[in-house]
Amino acid sequence: MAKKRDIDHFTGAAAKRGLLIIIVAVLTLETTSLLQYFSSEKILRDEAGRRAEGQLEATELHILNVMSQVETAVNNSVWSVEQQLNRPDSLAAVTVRLVQNNPVICGSTVALVNQELAPYSYDAGGEILSSTLATAEYDYPHQEWFVKPMELDGPYWSEPYFDEGGGNMLMTTYSIPVRDKKGRVAAVFTADVSLDWLTELVGSVKVYPTAFSMLISRTGQIMVCPVETLVMKKNIQELAASMEDSTTFQSMNRSLLSGESGNTTFRYQGKMHYMFFDSVERTGWAMTISIPEDEIFGNIKRLGFLIIILQIIGVTMIIFILYYTIKQEKDLRLSEQGKHRIEGELHVARGIQMSMIPKIFPPYPERGDVDMFASVLPAKEVGGDLYDFYIRENKLFFCIGDVSGKGVPASLVMAVTRSLFRTVSAHEKSPQRIVSTINASMSDMNETNMFVTLFCGVLDLENGHLRYCNAGHNAPVLVQEGGKRELPVVPNLPLGVLADMSFTEQETDLTCGTGLFLYTDGLNEAENAFHQLFGEERMMAALQPGLESRKQIAAMTDAVHAFVSGAEQSDDLTMLYIRFMNSQITEETERHLILHNDIQQIPQLAEFVEAVADIAKLDVGLAMSLNLALEEAVSNVIMYAYPPGSDGLVDVEAIIRKNELRFILSDSGVAFDPTAAPDADITLDVSERPIGGLGIFLVRNIMDEVSYTRSDDGKNILTMIKKLA
Amino acid sequence: MEVKITEKDNVMTAQLIGRLDTAVSQEVATALQPVIDQANKTIVLDCKELSYISSSGLRIFLTIRKAAAGKGGKVIVRDINNEIRQVFMMTGFLNLFEIQES
Repeated sequence: MAKKRDIDHFTGAAAKRGLLIIIVAVLTLETTSLLQYFSSEKILRDEAGRRAEGQLEATELHILNVMSQVETAVNNSVWSVEQQLNRPDSLAAVTVRLVQNNPVICGSTVALVNQELAPYSYDAGGEILSSTLATAEYDYPHQEWFVKPMELDGPYWSEPYFDEGGGNMLMTTYSIPVRDKKGRVAAVFTADVSLDWLTELVGSVKVYPTAFSMLISRTGQIMVCPVETLVMKKNIQELAASMEDSTTFQSMNRSLLSGESGNTTFRYQGKMHYMFFDSVERTGWAMTISIPEDEIFGNIKRLGFLIIILQIIGVTMIIFILYYTIKQEKDLRLSEQGKHRIEGELHVARGIQMSMIPKIFPPYPERGDVDMFASVLPAKEVGGDLYDFYIRENKLFFCIGDVSGKGVPASLVMAVTRSLFRTVSAHEKSPQRIVSTINASMSDMNETNMFVTLFCGVLDLENGHLRYCNAGHNAPVLVQEGGKRELPVVPNLPLGVLADMSFTEQETDLTCGTGLFLYTDGLNEAENAFHQLFGEERMMAALQPGLESRKQIAAMTDAVHAFVSGAEQSDDLTMLYIRFMNSQITEETERHLILHNDIQQIPQLAEFVEAVADIAKLDVGLAMSLNLALEEAVSNVIMYAYPPGSDGLVDVEAIIRKNELRFILSDSGVAFDPTAAPDADITLDVSERPIGGLGIFLVRNIMDEVSYTRSDDGKNILTMIKKLA
Repeated sequence: MEVKITEKDNVMTAQLIGRLDTAVSQEVATALQPVIDQANKTIVLDCKELSYISSSGLRIFLTIRKAAAGKGGKVIVRDINNEIRQVFMMTGFLNLFEIQES
């Protein structure tokens, strides 16, 4: 759990780091974006200002140019007017000429001061007509254009006005006082200028598609405006009052009307507008250009929007990538930990597996009748190969097997098979029945369809008789002086395939020194780097009759290692070599006799020994010798083991083998070791020779081995062996 | 086991018939007591029909032999079979007894 916590801790830390990175990235992005936005905004605003001012200036220049033109034309004609002051009738010719020669000037008059006389010439669609302004209704001496120059004693541009009498158009009039020879103002000379061109000029100023311009007179009259109903009808103050944010607008008006230039913002029709304004020199007019804010900043706003969208996408992607990186890292760490754990568990599994199979060699150092050695080399950490053996009732039970597949599942099946072998063979001597029972158990629970090849044998160590049963395993090899050959086997099916499979039992006799080499296919199918198999031929060649089991296994291991020379081992490799070494191969017959401690039972013993001698097919002499030895030993027990008068038994067991006769006497009498008595001296002469002491002497002389033990349960056990030729 | 004792010309002949094993040794010893008593004579132990002898039998033979030695008599063992000869050889009795073949 400590490791899990580590990972959670790691994940938490990584997530925090990731979050920090995202926050810093977002902050940096947003800061730079904002900076960029504001500086772009400033640049755009400045750009808009420059463009507006440039336009204002250009328009002003145009206006001033027209005005100068008018002024020059008028001023140049003043001389002619001065000359004609005394001939008022000729004055009209001057005005006609002025209108005729200057297309900008649409009307002109010379209004006399001393008399009601004001001839007026005007352009009526190309034709110059003349009339007079000296009418009672018009009353020119009180008109602004007449009064102002007199007051100023200089030229004057009138406020724009809508001329209803003359041309029905927006006009302005340039007036200049004309003096007589005495220097008195004698007349006012005027030129009317149509402002239609001005409307066109100012209206066409389009710094931005929806920007609009206005021209405002000295007194606040709206001279040019996109809304035509306002022109010459509304005062700029009135307009300001109707605006949404009148305060801003009015303060703007003040600067505007006081001839200042600058810019301001106002809200119109729900949109913020930038207004740039400037006064037109000499006229006292003011011109404005209003640009809707989104017109100026539309692009940057769209760009900003795009940037924000891109940033959101970017940040989302960063979060996504970070999440997956952390997850992957976490998975990696988890899987590494898992790998470590599995490796550890495999190591433990290997230990458990190795503890299941006998691995102390030689396994039976005290026995001279069997020499065996085994080795297992699992391909992976744990393997599916198995072998097992043990001795019960002087019989060697052994098996070797190979579970299909490798690794942990195979090793589990291996463990099951091995434990079944032990359990079943504990009360069963027939390999066929051992194999059948294991097969039935395995088939019943074989849900994973794993099967096991198994060779099972029971070797009688008394006589070398081998009973065996093969369940689909490789045939073992018999190794003996005469040669090497495969043990004939009926292949049968592997274990775990068919529950009711009937297996065939076979048998053979091993002679002393014969070896039985058992192996799994990891040996003959061991591959070298060129994918060549070790094969049975090489295996056979490496087997040497008479070689000790340990050396034989080592020689085979060396041979296979030399062959594969470092190529990776692809399958478990298990070998088991059993050499039968009992030279005393006998068929054994047992006979048993129980006598009471009555010397009269000796004839029964004689009969018993005769019978044994018959079984062993002994000649008469040997039979009599054995009879003698037995009688001596038994009578010794009958006479001395038990207290006189008490009842006791003498147990005589005869084991008849091909090469020996073995008699085992046991009684429950007083402990007495007849072998401890000194040998009789047969060289003494008659007088010196003791009467007794010949009995045990005879036993010793007749038998080849005599040994005595006192058993744990208080019995005297005398074993007498007579070797047979 | 049967013991037949005959006396002729100062020679006592004991004919031993059957198996002389431990079971009968006491009986045989009793039967041969007259022979032991007259151990000053020549004693012939006729073993022609003695099939078997155990150490208890050998004891009787040795007892007779010792008695004869003490009384100046003589013991002749006649016609022992091969098996008994083996036992005599084994026990050194061949050196203690005069063995005769008839």
